[in-house]
Amino acid sequence: MTAKDAQLSAIDQSGWGVPYRFLQPHNPVFWVYLFGLGAGAVTMVKFFGPAFGPYGLALTSGIVLFGGYLVPWLLLLRHHNRYTAQPAGLLLTAFLWGGIAAPFWIALPANGALLEVWSKLLGPDGAGDWGAGLTAPINEEWGKALGLILIIGLAPRLVRSAYDGFIIGAYIGLGFQVFEDVLYVYNNAQATFGTDQLGSTLQILAIRGAAGIVSHTLFSAIFCAGVMWVLGRTPGDRNVVRGVLTCLVAMFFHFSWDDAGGLSFGNPVVATVLPWLVLVPIELAALFYVLRRAARTERGWTRDLLGPEVESGVVDAELLTAVSGLRKDRKRYRKQVRGARHLVEAAGDLAHEIAGARGADTPRVEHARAEVLRLRAQVRA
Amino acid sequence: MNTSQPDGWVPVEHRFLGLDRRQLRPALFVLVVGLVLIYGFQGLNALIPWDNPTKAGDVLALGDGATAVPPVGWQLEDGTLVGDGSGSADVTLVKGGATIHLQGAAFTGSATAFLDQVRRVEERSPAVTGPRASFTTDAGLVGVVETESGPRGEGLDAAFKLAAGAAADTAPALLVEVAAAPGEFEQYQDEIGAFLRSITPEERA
Repeated sequence: MTAKDAQLSAIDQSGWGVPYRFLQPHNPVFWVYLFGLGAGAVTMVKFFGPAFGPYGLALTSGIVLFGGYLVPWLLLLRHHNRYTAQPAGLLLTAFLWGGIAAPFWIALPANGALLEVWSKLLGPDGAGDWGAGLTAPINEEWGKALGLILIIGLAPRLVRSAYDGFIIGAYIGLGFQVFEDVLYVYNNAQATFGTDQLGSTLQILAIRGAAGIVSHTLFSAIFCAGVMWVLGRTPGDRNVVRGVLTCLVAMFFHFSWDDAGGLSFGNPVVATVLPWLVLVPIELAALFYVLRRAARTERGWTRDLLGPEVESGVVDAELLTAVSGLRKDRKRYRKQVRGARHLVEAAGDLAHEIAGARGADTPRVEHARAEVLRLRAQVRA
Repeated sequence: MNTSQPDGWVPVEHRFLGLDRRQLRPALFVLVVGLVLIYGFQGLNALIPWDNPTKAGDVLALGDGATAVPPVGWQLEDGTLVGDGSGSADVTLVKGGATIHLQGAAFTGSATAFLDQVRRVEERSPAVTGPRASFTTDAGLVGVVETESGPRGEGLDAAFKLAAGAAADTAPALLVEVAAAPGEFEQYQDEIGAFLRSITPEERA
């Protein structure tokens, strides 16, 4: 296979550059998405609507503070939305499913019922220790992952690899996390009967903000990467055992976080130490393992996309390794080359334009190529 | 002549009522799984009955003539109803992800001092405690409530002395502990508030 053939194959397999269109009246998936979002929105309005009077300060401050909390998360996820990056509209679709449909359409009624089942089966003490962890990982992880299935139906050519699942899952989880945080602000304000509402919001921001590092964004990124391995939407990417295990790991992390009290068997010191000193390092290590494993296919596509550019000398081998590589590859390149950050970004732009032009030489591709050459000339100068 | 398919065009052989038949499977999958999660667990919950649910008109006997009106439809795990015995302040009520636990104690001092004492001796999971507030029942008992929020959900502790006025210092103390799973407190807040307001001390002639 020539470099050009490999490039065209990568464009075809990755679907990169295919425009994303949300409005698809002919697509039943679109209507199910709208139904879930609408049902979630109605519940959300019913839930929060009456609260804007007595708990207005708590809710408003919660929305503003968690809106600010969202910004660094979006920057972090934007940084990881690399290789054959997903378009913003698709990621917004994911975020809204995670924020509105998954918690308010599915999790809220499902959690209440299943928690009561555990209370009946395990008694109040057993349910207090284990109920939350035996409920949320089922209803919430599945509820969020349904958003990924819908997005595959809305953009079947764009969502192909496990890395796509990882990124889309992270956005769904982020939506869930932030909307749930506002729900917690409301709950806490209610529990304090509306006294010191701003203080109550700041408390929740402190607790949930810190816990958010290893919360729904992480669980869903791992779970949805697992779903993509089960589905195997690109040649060689299907691995049902790995996919199921990955989903179970995400569910176990969710369980262990929710039931840290039960897992500590009543020891308050263990209950404090377990989440932060044991679970956090394990969960972050698992997250980065899944990220690296999921990125393999996309990294290969990026290499294939830029293959002809390497042959023609526009991109050199070191730059190709950096733009298609992991953090350590980019770090090594930055040590070797002055202005490496700009070069890597420009090479990413070139790959994006080539994919968008389906491998043809358009004015945009030529401009992106000229930019890479200009920056390389600056580096040499 | 070979033309490329316009964006959004569904070939006639893939249409069903104007919809793209190829996407029916994921659409139905999501709809079915979503509905099973929502209504399946509600159905399962309905199939498993509580063995001792509270009914309209039930009144809890908290001992020494004190009473409280439990919310209807909660499981009375521990506790005695008026007419069933002398009563006890050890009461546990459960519904969904929420538990209300009542515990009585002999304590000389105010409700605030009693709650301080409880806080000193109880081992608690890590959580952030909210500001302490006053709470007055319909019978005029003035108690203190304190909330906490942590990874395990929201909780509320309320302390009362079962007498109003000068007799309060020497009257028995009552601790009400409410624990709700994450995100569940709101659903029961009205019932919990009504329950707290219904706590009534012994009526003296």
